[in-house]
Amino acid sequence: MAESFEPKIVSFLCNWCSYAGADLAGTSRIEYPQNIRIIRVPCSGRVDPLFVLKAFIDGADGVMVLGCHPGDCHYQQGNYYAQRRYSVMQKLLDFIGVESDRLLIDWVSASEGKRFAEVVSNFTYRIKEIGHLTIKQDARKIDTNLEKVTA
Amino acid sequence: MTRMDEQIREAARQLLESSKVSAVIGYELAAQGKVRPIIVEKTEDIGRLVWNEDCNLNLVNYLHQRKTPTGKDQPMPKTALVLRPCDVRSINLLITEQQIKRENIKIIGLQCAGTRINNKPSITCSFCMERTPVDYDVLIESDTPVEIPSDANGFKDIEEMENWTAEEQLAFWTEEFDRCIRCYACRQACPGCYCFECVAEQVDPHWTSIAMEVPEKMFFHVMRAYHLAGRCVLCGACEAACPMNIPLSKLNRKIAKDILETFGYKTGDDANTAPFLACFDSNERLKVEPSCHF
Repeated sequence: MAESFEPKIVSFLCNWCSYAGADLAGTSRIEYPQNIRIIRVPCSGRVDPLFVLKAFIDGADGVMVLGCHPGDCHYQQGNYYAQRRYSVMQKLLDFIGVESDRLLIDWVSASEGKRFAEVVSNFTYRIKEIGHLTIKQDARKIDTNLEKVTA
Repeated sequence: MTRMDEQIREAARQLLESSKVSAVIGYELAAQGKVRPIIVEKTEDIGRLVWNEDCNLNLVNYLHQRKTPTGKDQPMPKTALVLRPCDVRSINLLITEQQIKRENIKIIGLQCAGTRINNKPSITCSFCMERTPVDYDVLIESDTPVEIPSDANGFKDIEEMENWTAEEQLAFWTEEFDRCIRCYACRQACPGCYCFECVAEQVDPHWTSIAMEVPEKMFFHVMRAYHLAGRCVLCGACEAACPMNIPLSKLNRKIAKDILETFGYKTGDDANTAPFLACFDSNERLKVEPSCHF
């Protein structure tokens, strides 16, 4: 993979813990990679696995879902549901050729600004290692094949 | 007429004549030696009921059109169905999801040695480990022996595919999904797919475009497989309905395998267990982080 590869990473941060954690990382002037696009959600349990699937299909190289630590959810249980959902989703994605490392679910609390930066850095580093996800490219390849046939 | 046909007709006759049910849903012979579903409401039609190994659909799907319309307070007409062991599991699924009530259903359960799709053994059936339904009112005994081979492994092909590289997997599924014509027959044949408005056709929010491209088709199929996580009974009706012979059940069986291994959960074991993704255990800490180096 070329040195210049900058992955696109979509990150869903829960309003109560992880988003505040990201905020703390920012106000503490901690540096972390600029590859992540943050989407604030009320709870990690709000993140429909379709959001994740759609992100991958539409060209994201990695998706992170960050929530409150188990037991700390603002809505009591949202992160437990999320945990079950993504344990299934991750293995399914792995089966169709989206490496399981491309989907991260982790817990970052509002006081863990430093940890947020670490999680993002490690994840970005890992995605850079794996490289670009090519679902869209395959479609283009088929398009060109089709053009060859119809020409 | 085989002995199984005789037993099915006898059971249907008893249920219809005693007015325990208003209809029996089963199969009849159709053109070119094929079979098709039939809803028998009159006793003179009972002689049309048959069963053979080409009966590869899940007749539970037909219950959705007999459900009480929303807002109306009338009970569902009592119905008997001719069901394989896998199909019986979807009865349990629909009861847990409060779509039907067990007292309105009579199950004519079959001892099933597997069905065929296009004259070839169906993939789901060749890996099936179940011969007798978990629940039935009448049991139809099979004419042929129905033992499970002792070396049977319910997920052998899935285990092989898991060991492929990501490129191989993506190439395999790209090729398979490329054939998809987005007819949604898989969804229509599925008793678990009963949303009023499917994500595939929803306009607000507009999840996916109608383009005939691999990413859109992949979105649809992975979405459908995921929505059936912990709900799919592995009946193979989607695969039987697919005009392009896409091995759709592989996705469902992959999820079924993971859930069985991680949580020991199998869909439709009984009618009381909450759907798998609608509950949780606050003590469980699942390993969902990537294997990378924190």
